[in-house]
Amino acid sequence: MDDGFAEYVAQRHLRLCRMAYLLARDWGAAEDLVQTALAKAWLAWRRIEGNPDPYVYRIIVNTHSSWWRRRWRGEVPAETVPETADPRDAAAEVDDQAALWSAIGALSPRQRAVIVLHYFEGRTLTQVAEIVGCSLGAVKSQLSRALTRLRVDPDIQTMSLEKVPR
Amino acid sequence: MTYTESDLRRLLTERVREQDGGEPSAHLDAIVRRGRRTRRTRRAMAAGGALALAVAAAGLMNVLPAAQPGTGETAAAQQRADSARVERGPELPETYAVVLGAERFDLALIHSRHFETMGVAQKVTFSPSTFSTGYKVVCDDPRAWVVTVERLKGGEPGGTAGRCDSSVGGHHDRLSAPSDWLKRPQSLQVWVFPADAPVREVAEAVTGCPVTPVSKDCDEKAQSQALMRPEVRERLSAQLGERPGRWAVGVYDRPAEASPGPD
Repeated sequence: MDDGFAEYVAQRHLRLCRMAYLLARDWGAAEDLVQTALAKAWLAWRRIEGNPDPYVYRIIVNTHSSWWRRRWRGEVPAETVPETADPRDAAAEVDDQAALWSAIGALSPRQRAVIVLHYFEGRTLTQVAEIVGCSLGAVKSQLSRALTRLRVDPDIQTMSLEKVPR
Repeated sequence: MTYTESDLRRLLTERVREQDGGEPSAHLDAIVRRGRRTRRTRRAMAAGGALALAVAAAGLMNVLPAAQPGTGETAAAQQRADSARVERGPELPETYAVVLGAERFDLALIHSRHFETMGVAQKVTFSPSTFSTGYKVVCDDPRAWVVTVERLKGGEPGGTAGRCDSSVGGHHDRLSAPSDWLKRPQSLQVWVFPADAPVREVAEAVTGCPVTPVSKDCDEKAQSQALMRPEVRERLSAQLGERPGRWAVGVYDRPAEASPGPD
């Protein structure tokens, strides 16, 4: 049984691992998640019509949620993003990134999945809803809460801050 | 500090590119094997469920006077249902007990990987939360040979080797862990070889096996030491190939704030 499965794995494995890493935050766990998802996809391969991505993504998201519920996690992410110094300072910029990464780790598995699928995978919210298996309204609600916790303001457009010597 | 959506996109993109040790590679064979195993499990469970229904039906018939001759069939059906039960792989303990002089504490399981084959190297990557990180390997066959290799404080390789039931594993403390232990994901390499693997023959061929001063010949202790040499493992692995055999490795650690850094 193949019908393009090997080709799909060859083409998509790295991307799937990266997406899984953003959920699990551990490369070993990410590879395990992807292997689990692809093994299940292999079983259902002939029944999958069209693009297998949504099916595989859904397995990864659901499997990660179930692992997250039952595993002890040594990581204790901050509940909120701490205030930082001058945003133009290079060290402060690194701190900001670390704080944002830490805050992503504090999100629930579902909120994290919505963030990763929308902002990393570039999926529309309708596609995200299909993958995580809930309504579009629920996804919008999850996204709004997640962005609030991350202190990401979707109304602010990107502007490049000029780095000036202090 | 307020972020923009672009900040978020950039962070996610950058984070996935920071992996040490190269990009993860796809193991199609392992994926397909796992798929086949899942299918076997589902079929076995479905068969077990059907048999359980048959047992229940037969049991119900047995309480009726006209159905008493069916008792023997009920027992037979029960036996088949039991035989269809799927065995789980080796279980890892939830905690790892550490004794450091007068100090005793337990490490909690933070990461585990289960494998279905032996004979080839497996790399396990994990993110330690403290310098007190331990690991343990368990096998379906307690006489299987296990070798673990990790990086020590000076960057040199170290590890353990022996039969699986001889508590193969170990733990770091703040004196033995490399200085970058908490700065990036760490990895452990594990080889598991079948109990009847020709370790002695390969060790004698490669090294002559004169390893331990107390061993007069290439006994099991000397064979264990020979397995720490890469050329012995490589030849053994090439000779055996990948074979079925279940085992698991667990990584244990303390909560992040519990351990001070190295001196």
